[in-house]
Amino acid sequence: MKALITLIFMTLATWSFAQVSTDSSEVYKKKVLESVEVDFLMSYYSQDGDNSAVGGGIGTEELTDLTPTFVVSIPLNDDDVLVIDAGISAYSSASSSNIDPFDGDQGADPFQASSGASRSDVYFNVSTTYRHSSDDRNQIWSGNLSFSAEYDYLSLGIGGSYTRLFNQKNTEISIKANAYFDTWSAIYPIELSTFLNGPRGGDEADYRFDFDDYVITGNPNYNPSRFKEFDNKGRNSYSLGMTFSQILSKNMQALLSVDLVRQDGLLSTPYQRVYFADTPDSFIENFHLADDNEKLPDTRFKVAVGGRLNYFVNHRLTLRSYYRYYRDDWGINGHTASITIPYKVSDKFTVYPNYRYYTQQAADYFAPYNEHLSTDTYYTSDYDLSGFNSHQYGIGVGYTDIFTKAKVFSFGLKSVDLRFNYYDRSTGLSAFIISAGVKFVME
Amino acid sequence: MKLLTLIIFSLLILTSCVTVKEYEKININDPDMELSTKGVERFEINFQVYREAASGANGGKTGGGCGCN
Repeated sequence: MKALITLIFMTLATWSFAQVSTDSSEVYKKKVLESVEVDFLMSYYSQDGDNSAVGGGIGTEELTDLTPTFVVSIPLNDDDVLVIDAGISAYSSASSSNIDPFDGDQGADPFQASSGASRSDVYFNVSTTYRHSSDDRNQIWSGNLSFSAEYDYLSLGIGGSYTRLFNQKNTEISIKANAYFDTWSAIYPIELSTFLNGPRGGDEADYRFDFDDYVITGNPNYNPSRFKEFDNKGRNSYSLGMTFSQILSKNMQALLSVDLVRQDGLLSTPYQRVYFADTPDSFIENFHLADDNEKLPDTRFKVAVGGRLNYFVNHRLTLRSYYRYYRDDWGINGHTASITIPYKVSDKFTVYPNYRYYTQQAADYFAPYNEHLSTDTYYTSDYDLSGFNSHQYGIGVGYTDIFTKAKVFSFGLKSVDLRFNYYDRSTGLSAFIISAGVKFVME
Repeated sequence: MKLLTLIIFSLLILTSCVTVKEYEKININDPDMELSTKGVERFEINFQVYREAASGANGGKTGGGCGCN
């Protein structure tokens, strides 16, 4: 009897303890974000190559790009966070400068940058995300709006996501959807823009460029008969993404991700030249006058399936691996694989050596300089759509202080990241990027 | 051989079903174990989207903006 009473008492005590635990977890709610966090991010990118898309597959691809950006995360209450992300991208592109290769001081040449107005531009973007977490932190809803603009392009975006965690937060499923509504202010290669409103010399012709000021060599009767203005200058993108992540053990977790993207509208880039093999060639100085601009289908459907596997080897070493398969209905198949090996040098400093391999098959509509036929329906000589493989090697250094001992005014320094990556593409294009990020937490 | 494959596969599946408790997640919660990319990596993902035809399934943008330079 005594044993029975003890057993009942213990059961009741355990049960009541369990109730208290449950109740206390309902009463106590840790804030999703404790205080305001500010990220300053910056990158400098530089590339060079000899297959400019503006030059129809030949010419300099020299480009530099500087992108200061900041991200502010603001806790609105225990459950809600507002994130504002804004940045600019100031670039200088020798390739773009050759939209009008005749406005510089030097002679027109696809391998030489023109000093004209199209040489540089500024891209501006801002996005805001509102995120709400449920009381038990097992469900997260978010909505976002974005806007970006550059001289010839505007983009508006809207999206949302839903995340569900279960199995004691060992499993996470997320679904997200985004839509972007973009508009081109179509800019054409200067020699083609002269034909926008009829034959060369028409009443409404673009008089920024006058053929009579130049000597046309090769075929003197230059007439790009395939060229006409794009009717539709809008581009819409709709994407649906799903991710599934799972903790596999105390030291390993994995993620599977699928993205489906549908695009329609003007998917060609209006100022990229194309040359036909079956059309007589016309030149001004060293510049080949375009036979037409790029023509691509007005729809594209993309599928990307990716996976990540992270393994905690020991308190110093971690392995981060990634693989992605991509295909679309333009005939492109691509594989991406990368590995990063974070190594903790001390409790605050980590180094991040990384390597990435990428390979893709050419789009059905790609051909190199002067190899398309005027009878083709679609054509491009943009080497970003050619078949190639690339290697990317990089190293990064990270400083993290979760106690934010270092102060700048009323902000504590939480982390600093610095990365350098070198990119080498089998088409001959090479690039490097230096990126840095500093995270502050408001005290 | 088929049996061995089946066993290994089953073991992998079963292992994946192990529930790791919150207090056992010290290694999983290490910042280097995060399944998302770091904020500073966004610039690399951006230029890869511009210079390569493939995009998506990596946390980067899947549309919007021209990216044509």
